[in-house]
Amino acid sequence: MYPGARLPALRDISLDIPEGQFYAVVGPNQAGKSTLAYAMTGYIPHFYRGRLEGSVTVAGMDTRATPLHELVLTAGLIFQNPFNQISGTKFTVREEIAFGLENLGMPRGEMQTRVDETMELVGINRLADRSPLALSGGEMQRVAIASILAMKPKVLVLDEPTSQLDPIGSREVFSAVRSLMSAEKMTVVMIEHKLEWVAVFADHVIAMVDGQILANGSPTDVLTADALQMAGVGQTRYTRAARRARDLGSWPDQHELPVTLEEAEEAFRRLKTGG
Amino acid sequence: MAEAFSLYTGQESLIHTLHPLTKLTLAAFLLVGGLALPGPWLTYILFSAVLIPLALLARVLPRLLSLAWRVVLPFAISVFLIQGFLWPGGTPLVAIGPLSLKREGLLFAVTSVGRILMVVTSFLWFALTTRPDLLMTSLVQRGLPSNLAYIIVATIQIIPRFQQRAATILDAQRARGLETGGNLRQRARGVLPLVVPLILSSLVDVEERALAVEARAFSHPGKKTSFIEIAEYGWEPLLRWVVIIAIAALLGLSIWLRTL
Repeated sequence: MYPGARLPALRDISLDIPEGQFYAVVGPNQAGKSTLAYAMTGYIPHFYRGRLEGSVTVAGMDTRATPLHELVLTAGLIFQNPFNQISGTKFTVREEIAFGLENLGMPRGEMQTRVDETMELVGINRLADRSPLALSGGEMQRVAIASILAMKPKVLVLDEPTSQLDPIGSREVFSAVRSLMSAEKMTVVMIEHKLEWVAVFADHVIAMVDGQILANGSPTDVLTADALQMAGVGQTRYTRAARRARDLGSWPDQHELPVTLEEAEEAFRRLKTGG
Repeated sequence: MAEAFSLYTGQESLIHTLHPLTKLTLAAFLLVGGLALPGPWLTYILFSAVLIPLALLARVLPRLLSLAWRVVLPFAISVFLIQGFLWPGGTPLVAIGPLSLKREGLLFAVTSVGRILMVVTSFLWFALTTRPDLLMTSLVQRGLPSNLAYIIVATIQIIPRFQQRAATILDAQRARGLETGGNLRQRARGVLPLVVPLILSSLVDVEERALAVEARAFSHPGKKTSFIEIAEYGWEPLLRWVVIIAIAALLGLSIWLRTL
């Protein structure tokens, strides 16, 4: 519960996120998704001094008992605005990525190796000597991700990382996150509104409305449920197309609604051939 | 890269290759001289004899003058008018209607302008020739708390940031129909829709920045290391000491001159 608020931002949250999975958190605005992200990374209770009831454990560390500067090494947080995550005190992208490592007191040789590895992982080698402030949104956001990844966290939480980016930038960010998930054994929690991407990439989807978790399941389960759609959780355009077909009576009841382009293609093709 | 540290000009000059702390001591010398030296004319001598050659060495003189001009000229005009005409008592030099220009007032104005000139130009000379990131690293290495160093560097950049943001807000409000032309009254009404978003958005940004910087282990205890090496000439530490002694001498000289 934030200081000065009448109602708690999060209620009755009980969540278990296993290692190495890609969880997406969806839901309408003001649902408490960002608050959940802050709670997962220790900003609540250490930065935002509201009231926290219950406990949050990240990779074995209790967020209340562990100081914030230790927690951020385990759970990194990426924000919406790429510009605000650039320190603004570094001349090149390479130095920018090393900023976190400098703060940790890492020896210079080790830093250089780590920075090179991370740039390779995120796919931004060609940006190495550019100024961090002269990049496009997608590039900046990937530099921000690399800056956090350089510290090798076990968990990466992303709070609407593509909301301020154009489609190309969004795709760059999603590909980067996906490729690092397969390279490292990383746990990713991403708050996203771009449901078409969520349907493709996420292993599980958590739907939040009004501070509560309404659903936690596979993308298909969460993104096709009518009850959730009425509660304000969105659906992909493929699902909406199929629902329209269902409303018109062209969609057999037993067929599952698609959430991705592939599923939709497949499903509509079956309809056409009468299968 | 210029938009990153908007004042810094990436020129190639001897001054640019100097260690940030060397430049800081030189700028401090100019600043102390500008403020401590008595009399109306000594500051101008400092300006011509020390600052201008330093600016020439750094190849930043044209830009420095054009930036300094914008600050010093309005100040100079107002201080000349106010102190010149409104000086109590004193010896009148020229009479314009009921008002007369006083000699003491003019001398005071000359002195004040000289001081402002030195303050502004010493800061500009430093800002135009020093990379903020190198400055921050060298300060932290010398023991300055990194929070303070970050604040200093961020403050140097705050003006260009504010300008960029203000330009965006101006465009956005104009697109919503805000009148930006017209007479003084209309313009005055247009100030609030520009200033309020500027301040509010800056405050929101500060929060996000604090979160982001925290995420990069900024509060991590222990000594911080530096990714880049800041090079310096072998004679620079000696030069810094010489300048520091010169600052002390300058202070001594100023005190002595005032007792004459």
